[in-house]
Amino acid sequence: MSADASVVFDRAVLFLGGKGGVGKTTLAAAIAWRAAREGQRTLLVSTDPAHSTADVLGRTLGPEPTPVSPNLWVMEIDPTLEADRYIAEVKRQIAEVTPPRLVAEVERQIDIARVSPGAEDAALFDRFTRLIDQLGNPYERIVIDTAPLGHTLRLLALPEHMAAWIGGLIGRRRKVTALSRMWRRVAGAAAAASVREEDPVLATLEERRARFHRTRAVITDRQRTGFVFVLVPERLSLLETQRAVQTVAKHGIPVRALVVNRVTPEPTVGARFERRRQLEQECLQTIRTTLAEYPVFQVPLLEIDNGGPATLDRIASHLLRS
Amino acid sequence: MTSRVRRVWGTVRARLRAFRDIYEGLYVAPYRSQIYRAYLEERDLFLLSGFSDLMGAPSPVLFYTLELYPELIEQFHQWHLRMGMPRAPEGGFRCC
Repeated sequence: MSADASVVFDRAVLFLGGKGGVGKTTLAAAIAWRAAREGQRTLLVSTDPAHSTADVLGRTLGPEPTPVSPNLWVMEIDPTLEADRYIAEVKRQIAEVTPPRLVAEVERQIDIARVSPGAEDAALFDRFTRLIDQLGNPYERIVIDTAPLGHTLRLLALPEHMAAWIGGLIGRRRKVTALSRMWRRVAGAAAAASVREEDPVLATLEERRARFHRTRAVITDRQRTGFVFVLVPERLSLLETQRAVQTVAKHGIPVRALVVNRVTPEPTVGARFERRRQLEQECLQTIRTTLAEYPVFQVPLLEIDNGGPATLDRIASHLLRS
Repeated sequence: MTSRVRRVWGTVRARLRAFRDIYEGLYVAPYRSQIYRAYLEERDLFLLSGFSDLMGAPSPVLFYTLELYPELIEQFHQWHLRMGMPRAPEGGFRCC
């Protein structure tokens, strides 16, 4: 399947995923760089704990969007930092409203939550939903360089599962609220003072669920979102991508294209490299037949190493030329 | 004129209120405690299903519900007292 590259990579939310080391970070930076140069307010987000984006751009980045060039902001989300920040915020809120005798115990309980499995995923995801809320204002484009695959897939499945779970809690909480209202009606003035009219628990849960729904609506909308798989023309990369494409599609996230990176160009010198090139061509052929419904783009193996804007421009030209 | 209307309306309202109190005493009062019990049960169910970590069992959404803690710990305390446990059950949230 062939397609116009400038249309394929133009989604408002673009995920780049793939096995570690295939060049996601560089390609994500190249796409974001190009979009920004064309005048779109672009945010490049890295969720990879390795933080290679800083290395690609040759500068230090933080957990807040940093402007790096006109129209381009870059941020690296650090799950550990996000989790710590959330915990600190909760503790601050709690200190205001908890009876003094319980503060120590509540804090102990919260520290347990901090080290529980999934805490950092949750914090990362929470930050992510807030970023998606910023789509359109101020950012027109969000390019996400995802962490290696398994982790990303779990992250993308979260809105579905969390919304369902929180939906259940909300249903239960509504029953509590209804009964409390009923009780107030029959109990007269005595109970009226003891039960509050609005339910802060319900309000918090509903805000969460609404945000999860908004995120889910955006990332499953093929007009706004696209997932791009990056792979290298090798067997293992191909096999993992075949599996991952299924999973991403199953979660309702539109797979937009495949980018085969570091394809050995012609002409080659010597039998060894020629053989290698042929193997890659066979692999490309398999990609085209087994994943026929997705457009395939190629970026050749270049004679440059990653190093700043000029490199990014060149990579973007290769990618978007087709 | 208006003051008279107001006075009459005040009397009517007082009578209506008295009527309502009698009605409540006769028909509603017997159910009052049942409704209150149902309310408490539903509240406990919410607490223990949604915030099982208070009991020491991990909750999959724990991290998303932490900010609700201040609202819920008091209810948890009331719950274990009502269940005949003078101290919070072992392994979970130790409010006392």
